[in-house]
Amino acid sequence: MKNLVAILMMTAAVTVAAKSFAAPPADTLAEVKKKGVLVAGVKDSTPPFGYIDEKTRTIIGYDIDFIHAIARKINVKVELKPVTSASRMAQLQEGNIDMIVATMTKNPERAKQIDFSHTYFFTGQKFITRKGSVKALKDLEGKKIGTTKGSTSEQQARKALPTANVLSYDDYPQAFLALQQGKVFAMTTDESILLGLLAKSPEKSKFEIPNIQISDEPYGIGMRKGDKNFVDFVNKAILELEKSGEAKKIFDKWFGPKTDYHIQRNFKITADK
Amino acid sequence: MTILSNFQVIADNIIYFFVGRWPEGPLGGVGLTLYLASASCILSIFGGLILGLLSVSKKKWISWPSMLVINTIRGVPLLMVIFWMYFLLPAIFGKVITETRTVILGLTFFTSAYMSQIVRAGIEGIPKGQMEAAISTGLTHWQAMIYIILPQGLRNMIPSFVNQFVSLIKDTSLAFIVGVSELTHVATQINNRTMAFPTEIFFFIAVVYFIICYAFTSLSRNLEKRLEWRKAI
Amino acid sequence: MLSYKFDWSVITSGQYHEWLISGLKVTIQLSISGILLSFLLGLIVAVMRMSHLKLFRWSACVFLEFTRNTPLLVQIFFWYFGSYKLLPTAVNEWLNNTGFEFAAALIALTIYTSAFIAEDIRSGVLSIPKEQMEAAQSSGFSYIRSMQYIILPQAVRITIPPLVNQFLNLAKNSSLAMTIGVMELTYQARQVESYTFKGFEAFTAATVVYLAISVIITFLVDQYNERVLQIHKGA
Repeated sequence: MKNLVAILMMTAAVTVAAKSFAAPPADTLAEVKKKGVLVAGVKDSTPPFGYIDEKTRTIIGYDIDFIHAIARKINVKVELKPVTSASRMAQLQEGNIDMIVATMTKNPERAKQIDFSHTYFFTGQKFITRKGSVKALKDLEGKKIGTTKGSTSEQQARKALPTANVLSYDDYPQAFLALQQGKVFAMTTDESILLGLLAKSPEKSKFEIPNIQISDEPYGIGMRKGDKNFVDFVNKAILELEKSGEAKKIFDKWFGPKTDYHIQRNFKITADK
Repeated sequence: MTILSNFQVIADNIIYFFVGRWPEGPLGGVGLTLYLASASCILSIFGGLILGLLSVSKKKWISWPSMLVINTIRGVPLLMVIFWMYFLLPAIFGKVITETRTVILGLTFFTSAYMSQIVRAGIEGIPKGQMEAAISTGLTHWQAMIYIILPQGLRNMIPSFVNQFVSLIKDTSLAFIVGVSELTHVATQINNRTMAFPTEIFFFIAVVYFIICYAFTSLSRNLEKRLEWRKAI
Repeated sequence: MLSYKFDWSVITSGQYHEWLISGLKVTIQLSISGILLSFLLGLIVAVMRMSHLKLFRWSACVFLEFTRNTPLLVQIFFWYFGSYKLLPTAVNEWLNNTGFEFAAALIALTIYTSAFIAEDIRSGVLSIPKEQMEAAQSSGFSYIRSMQYIILPQAVRITIPPLVNQFLNLAKNSSLAMTIGVMELTYQARQVESYTFKGFEAFTAATVVYLAISVIITFLVDQYNERVLQIHKGA
């Protein structure tokens, strides 16, 4: 049974060589044009950035509109793949998706692994708590705080509240559900996401977002490291969207006066640095 | 009846529960659950046959390593196996593997180890005399195994295969963790969106799983009874 | 070409090492308490399943079929998120303050595993000749007492190999508790991955530990088995 030996040896070899994958396309832009479809990793439970529309059963949101706008510029179709905070980087690096547009905060650790576009959304990390239970950050010390696995929110929360018990779920709404059911004392993540959760909650009157911010959260589109052509293209594309006013239109569609959120656009898409 | 009205959330999303984003988007929900379970079941029957036959080999250097592989897989949680597939498959195939296929291969790899035990027991259940008789007619050990022993053993294995299929249906719920939109994932999505009906939603999908699994469990029991009856005559 | 640099120091020392160790502790706590409770519950359900009272038999049957034919993960979600509405507020508050994550996972694991254990025990009992029960009862034992002193001790002994299998399954299934935020081994391995991007090392460590648990349990039971069988033969 040479085969078996071969299989065993292969497994061993693979174990050693794990992650030295056959590289995903070096020039994603060319690859996307060739296959005629842009595959984007998105959130499917994070209103209003990416969530399932009950009637049409498709994914919609702020992130999704950006993907469509970029795809229109390349003149290709769009394929949306739901990802989680914990899985999205691996998915990108392994080539399962071409870009991450999934409420992803730009930070130096991540920038070592992947490249980011210019900031296309800007927010800060806050908390949702029961009304009146929290006045200052110290009220959260030693408490149980829910958030999401693999997110920057989790790491920031641990840093800002070293004595708190930070508990991570698979998705933000699960953490919020845990808060509603009293399983955690507060939940934390980016304010824009908190607003989305609160707006959809049937018990929103019982909760509030106290004015305590523990970090800035600039969102970027994630692309594979060194994929220069594609990064340049996407950067150019979103700057054009800003210039043409389309970026603001997308913002107003999801966050403007006619929505449940009603927040001011306190940023403009500009070139980094 | 507030309880009944709460089940409105199920009615509102019933199509999503059953087919996900299909036909505009990919298949999800119950449809994907059944697809994942069937594909993995067929593949792991083959995997189980191969591993099972290797593990009953008379040659120690074949049976021993295959038993090692089988027992190693059986000693690790399925969740770990799926995470490993995530790491290893791209390296083995040299290209990107979709999550759905990753899960199918993870389930296959895991279930093959259990199937191999069924195959082993099935083969060992055939009287030794048959093997001796087959070999004395001039067949080699392997020919005798494949043409004489295995076909008889397979019939006895069918109920156990069906039971494994039931386990597979339940195991597909783990695909949720890597973001494959099968029934459990779809349920958490709806739960995430509505946020007020976790009891109704999880109870509903438990019932859906139960109906599917119970149907196959009953099938397996029936088959078993019929086999017993056959053996009796 | 190795594009990946192994760094085992991540998991052999420092903060991440401590995470994995604390995860292992939780896995062991969850497994041991789960094994004890599910054995107990499994025993009760098995006795009910074989009872002469229709009500007992039927409720045991419904319990068995429903738990065996639904995924554990769904049961975990049901207990953790779904039980909230079914329980009084006071109970919910008490549960939440005592760390409901662990309790919900333990309840789900116990119930799920007990159903399999009950069926294993029942087949063990069925393999004991009927005459023993009749003899026991005719010598003045009640049904429960005959079960307790005569039938079950023998059945449990016969049932040990399949029981061990169920215990191993429980230990492995405890990994699903990570989905509701129980910080057990798999949860911590994933945490280490997302903080360090050293998933390969973290998952290797976790896998080796799970294998070790399986090997140790199997070994212990083999030892026990040999001793018991020896005594049995000697007697």
